[in-house]
Amino acid sequence: MGKVQIYEPFKGGLPPVIPYFSDVWRRREFISAYSRSELRAQNFGSFFGQLWLILNPLILAFVYYLLIIVIGGNTGSERFAHLTAGLFLFYFITNSMMAGSKSITSGGKLVLNSAFPRLILPISATVISFFKFLPTFFVLGVIHLILGLPIGPELFYLVPVLVASIIFALGTAILTSILNVYFRDTRNFLPYFTRAWLYLSPVLYTVEQLKPALKPISYLNPLYTFIGAWTDILISGAAPTVANFVTMFSWAFALLLIAVFLFMRREREFALRI
Amino acid sequence: MLFESESHKAGQVAISVRNLNLIYKTTVQKKPTFRQALTRTGRKIRTVNALTNLSLEIPYGSVLGVIGANGAGKSSLMRVVAGIVPPTAGRVEVYGQVSTLLSLGVGFNARLTGRENVILGGLAAGLTRAEIEEQFSAIADFADIGEAIDSPMKTYSAGMYSRLAFAVAVVVEPDVLIVDEALSTGDAKFKKKSLEKIKTLRSENRAIILVSHALATIKEICNDVIWLDKGKIVMRGNPDEVVAAYKESLQVAKSSSADEDL
Repeated sequence: MGKVQIYEPFKGGLPPVIPYFSDVWRRREFISAYSRSELRAQNFGSFFGQLWLILNPLILAFVYYLLIIVIGGNTGSERFAHLTAGLFLFYFITNSMMAGSKSITSGGKLVLNSAFPRLILPISATVISFFKFLPTFFVLGVIHLILGLPIGPELFYLVPVLVASIIFALGTAILTSILNVYFRDTRNFLPYFTRAWLYLSPVLYTVEQLKPALKPISYLNPLYTFIGAWTDILISGAAPTVANFVTMFSWAFALLLIAVFLFMRREREFALRI
Repeated sequence: MLFESESHKAGQVAISVRNLNLIYKTTVQKKPTFRQALTRTGRKIRTVNALTNLSLEIPYGSVLGVIGANGAGKSSLMRVVAGIVPPTAGRVEVYGQVSTLLSLGVGFNARLTGRENVILGGLAAGLTRAEIEEQFSAIADFADIGEAIDSPMKTYSAGMYSRLAFAVAVVVEPDVLIVDEALSTGDAKFKKKSLEKIKTLRSENRAIILVSHALATIKEICNDVIWLDKGKIVMRGNPDEVVAAYKESLQVAKSSSADEDL
């Protein structure tokens, strides 16, 4: 081969950054093949098969709509559109986080037996969650047309909000993947954490409905901005403010940077911890 | 051949290991939990000197057997050589493309089919999809598990599992082949077949490392053996001599049980 591989102790805790990322980039076929296989396997053997990709979000939306009816909230058609839009984006991010938490620990055999940048595992988890999120666009589109919600150039603002959400979702997946290697309880805590996060985010209620006393949480909760901007564009055709964008991208990049840094420092230990 | 390979000459260094140390800390408790991390109870930190100041050169053309008791550091050494675990100190140089078959792991996701696992394993190892697909039928033929190749791996028996794992590692025909305990499972027919395959893989431009408790296999196919104990090389040399010395240390020289691998 004329090629020599050298294995030495890592200096300063980080592997050489540029070769590391070119290694990750070379594994992109793994990421796409893994995501496709995993999606197929998840509904393998169920009666509805891949139809579940549409059924899951629809059922989810109706269950929460039922909750809003029972507790006597505003049940107008716009409320339903707001609920579905917010819920689907929220579930994309938290699904990515849940799948990320399992990505290293359940990839145990591969981690123990092959040398590759471990980062491709949580990245795959986010890609899988994104593939599950895609069919909801169809559902949202149908609701949008039926309810006659505004259609205009403002809808293009969905793209940067989506990009920021994907970066943020990737950051959460990487972070929980590390956490779960060291504390296996992470996986048990996460469902409750995401449930609480749902209640603290403007999904089951709108931004305007929040009690003024609770307003400070909107500054602490990154999803407040993501979901607020997302639903404002879809429901009222309102463009996000510059401040919204700065908030979203700051959260997204800061989280991703911290998560990747921690991951790269720790990943050499993963094979010893599984 | 899957890996594009320049020919190596016998005697040329394939793997050079210099002053290798591997130390890791582990908690005695197997699955660490958040509560115990907070309260710092129920766990002791144990420092494991898996490999201590180990130096080794493996030339092309050699079939190196690695023997030693459980916990001697055999698998740790293989993991460092394969680049899976970085050394604590020292340096490892590998001249060529490595294929590993460590602790029988090819399939990492039991819900996916054998075919998907083989493809994903290859992609993770850095091959392209085209390269894997080119070799896929040879892998399936060698594993000889029939239509099961397209069933989820959770339906596989242990034997089917190891057949597929072995097939992947040997069909790829790498410059450096590391086989860890792979010959100890599977039925007699497959064991024979895999042994034959390893024999055909012996060549001047390849180096093979075989980790096994099957001493008869080691004697039959290796031309060089190291005996590891507590992370150090106790003895290296002619297979018959090293195996004899190892057996004597175990005081099983008279028992035939250690030979019962084939």
